[in-house]
Amino acid sequence: PVAAQDTVTWKVQAHWPAASSSYTDSLKRLKRVLDERTDGQLQLKLYEAGALFSAKETFNAVSRGILEMGVISPGYAQDKMSLAGIASGLPFAFRNVWEVAYFHKNLGFEQMLRDEAAEHGVYWSTDKVFTTEMVVKKPINSWEDFTSLKIRSSGALQKFLTDAGASASYIPGSELYSALDSGIVDGAHWGAVQGAASMSLYEVAKYHVKPALNIAGTDVFLINQKALNKLPEDMQKIVKDTLNEQFWIRTNEYQFKERKTLATIQAEQGVKITKLPEDVQAKLTEAAKETWEEEGKRSEKAQKALNMLKDYLADLGYL
Amino acid sequence: MNVLTAFITGVTRLNDFVGRWLALLVFVMFVLLIGEVGFRYLLNAPTSWTNELTQMLFGVYAVMSGGYILAHKGHVNVDLLHSHLSPRKRALMDIATSLLFFIFTLALLWFGIDMARESMASWETSYSAWNPPIWPVKLAIPVGTGLLVLQGLAKLLEDIAIAFNLDYYRPVSDTSEGEQS
Amino acid sequence: MSIEVLTLLFFGSLLFFLLLGLPLTFVLGGVSVVFLYFTWGFDSFYMVASQILGTMNSFTLVAIPLFVFMAMVLERTGVAKDLYRMMHLWFGGLRGGLAIGTLVICAVFAAMVGISGAAVVAMGTIALPSMLERGYDRKMALGVINTGGGWGILIPPSILMILYALITGVSVGQMFAAGVMPGVLLMVLTVVYILVRSTLQPHLAPALPPGERGTWPEKFRALRAVLLPIGVVLMVLGSIIGGITTPTEAAAMGVLGALISAAVYRQFKWSIMHEAAIRTFKLTGMIMWILFAAHAFSAAYQSMGAQDLIEGLMQLIPGGPWGIIIAMMVIVFFLAMVLDPVGIMLITLPVFMPIVKSLGFDPIWFGILFVINMEIGYKTPPFGFNLFYLKGVVPPGITMKDIYGSVIPFVVIEILAIAIIMVFPEIATWLPGLFF
Ligand code: NA
Ligand code: NA
Repeated sequence: PVAAQDTVTWKVQAHWPAASSSYTDSLKRLKRVLDERTDGQLQLKLYEAGALFSAKETFNAVSRGILEMGVISPGYAQDKMSLAGIASGLPFAFRNVWEVAYFHKNLGFEQMLRDEAAEHGVYWSTDKVFTTEMVVKKPINSWEDFTSLKIRSSGALQKFLTDAGASASYIPGSELYSALDSGIVDGAHWGAVQGAASMSLYEVAKYHVKPALNIAGTDVFLINQKALNKLPEDMQKIVKDTLNEQFWIRTNEYQFKERKTLATIQAEQGVKITKLPEDVQAKLTEAAKETWEEEGKRSEKAQKALNMLKDYLADLGYL
Repeated sequence: MNVLTAFITGVTRLNDFVGRWLALLVFVMFVLLIGEVGFRYLLNAPTSWTNELTQMLFGVYAVMSGGYILAHKGHVNVDLLHSHLSPRKRALMDIATSLLFFIFTLALLWFGIDMARESMASWETSYSAWNPPIWPVKLAIPVGTGLLVLQGLAKLLEDIAIAFNLDYYRPVSDTSEGEQS
Repeated sequence: MSIEVLTLLFFGSLLFFLLLGLPLTFVLGGVSVVFLYFTWGFDSFYMVASQILGTMNSFTLVAIPLFVFMAMVLERTGVAKDLYRMMHLWFGGLRGGLAIGTLVICAVFAAMVGISGAAVVAMGTIALPSMLERGYDRKMALGVINTGGGWGILIPPSILMILYALITGVSVGQMFAAGVMPGVLLMVLTVVYILVRSTLQPHLAPALPPGERGTWPEKFRALRAVLLPIGVVLMVLGSIIGGITTPTEAAAMGVLGALISAAVYRQFKWSIMHEAAIRTFKLTGMIMWILFAAHAFSAAYQSMGAQDLIEGLMQLIPGGPWGIIIAMMVIVFFLAMVLDPVGIMLITLPVFMPIVKSLGFDPIWFGILFVINMEIGYKTPPFGFNLFYLKGVVPPGITMKDIYGSVIPFVVIEILAIAIIMVFPEIATWLPGLFF
């Protein structure tokens, strides 16, 4: 264990660029609060996206103890975490952010994730819950409008959108703007409003699609378990409590910023909201259920989490 | 034929063989990308796999090139000093700096093996919409680095022979195609 | 050990081993590993392997082998040669005419590619032999290719501009628009330099003797040579602008165009294609191994605390807003001598941007200065990547010394351009202001 007077410095690799709001609001906040609460004894040294490790390699680096801490999306830990698919958001399952928060913290999904990550020597703590939403170049008024879309997507959502009938293809982030601008794709998702705004997507795609494609705990802190155990017990508790508190603060704050950004781009860039028609939503939800079942097959844990989720959705009256 | 001579020629031939075949991947990448444009633009049906497959092939293509390029003296250097030295002195200097070469390539080999082994333990896939296995791409790192290390060893043996006038290696003018120095 | 001392040792050992003649990629990789060992321990080497994997997975780099292959095919089939013959017949009477023609082709190429490397290697293959054959001074020829080959990141599309926009939160479209006029400015300045220089020293870029300039019928017959290259360019640019392909996929359109040209020239032969493929493999691999090691090197330098160094430096700067901007440019200029552009952006921008914004400067304008500075960095000794890429394609007998020496006037021109854009910010900000 670390002696009481020593200063410990943790290297933290994020998957956010330094200009993103989360880099300041989540990461720098955590650094500041931990500094205050440990009287400067626990210092975080922050690295922005890609500085030391790519997002895909961050879980491994934390697991190996090369980094004491990292921030990723669950999707980047798919290989190690059979629950990652559910954690990164099943399409058209939840309808409100609070429902996901409750699922994680009150129904025990966060603990399930934590248990699976612990098998790799990693302490898992979700930073916040938020939505993934699409932007498109023309409004979606019918099922035909939807299926004629070419959408830039990635990972599980790409498969889902394709299975559901749209044409989803992967284009790297660096070419996304040009692709939308010239019409190679007609739509894309990059986080929700703030994410799309950070990529300048509203300059070239004026319709923001509601409802969300998914809602999930898409940003996650990872801590190397050994590094955590080396801290004095009271400091370990400070770290865990601070992260727990951070979840609620950031989830709430993010919703506010989403709303505020949406208001700004509506006013300044003439962005309009296009709501998916009821029949489109219904068809997408049907298609989504197949995706859910696929995720359940990943492992016993995943099946258990899926069953829990379906019971919960039934309680909410969605199934 | 001396065993050292055999090693040098054998490694160079191996890298040559690998390089000549891998070079053809540029045609495959071209066909895949053009195909994707066709699927998307003409048929309005983008595929989920062409870009990803192209990417994977490109990674293998790039990382496996190291040994071939070394065999053909294609890794560029600064020849400010080199061009003024006699072949023996140049060989001596290359022997000295090969230390840094081996530090880099062996570190890469070690952790490349580590990374590939971890990936192969779970037969890792990419979890994209297409979801292909990606362990072969990770495996290409230690394999490509291994080929580079072997060629580096061959070059070291050549340099030792030139520097100390040993008879297992006689430099001949590079008869490879191309005009790169 | 403090970051200042580490920095000196780090860059000192780079320079030392580079001078000893070890190839750049192994110098960068080896020095990274040694320094990582002493600052972070054995396990940190995992980062080197991980950075290489990340570079292998970068989709935008897929354009490199395709554009290089396109150039190889155009060169081997004689299309490029005829293009230069045409330029010589038409502009041969003008001193420096071929160099200016080359710059025009470079500008067109720059509008097709968003990355550096591909254009330098391609133009080195196509243009260098043609200029040397016709008695151009080697430094003049090398410098022109080095400078024009770097325009790819200033004239849109540009991956570096997209990265700048992502890191700083400015608009990608505005960055693209802002790059156009400075690109034109750079081109005008470079052309003026060539005209002046070749008037004063005609032996550097000789005009064609009047007897060889050809008759008008010959000239018009030679014009046919531009049809195929223009066709290739239209295929690439048309497919980007027309929304048919992404910039990376457009490289494949370029290959298609080159293959069609080969067929028109009745040179669509396996022997030519295979040879072009092998040279492409060698050059792409050369570029990629430099990038592998450069990315590992940047990551190693960042892990040692490069950003703290920049923060510390910024606190030492006296002298008002303009002093700070100029100091930033100087820091970037020096970093660019030794680091790869992506690394420089990650290290400096998070420190610079809040300052730039608080001083009331336009981040778009600053971004253009920054990108031109990166472009200079691509060709400043000892580590400018373009210098090494070019070395990979030059005929034997041209040494690194020639290449190093060739860039000096062109670097001065670009510094002049930065100064002009500082004095007249409208050059960068006027066009984006018009559109957005
Ligand atoms: Na460009
Ligand atoms: Na440089």
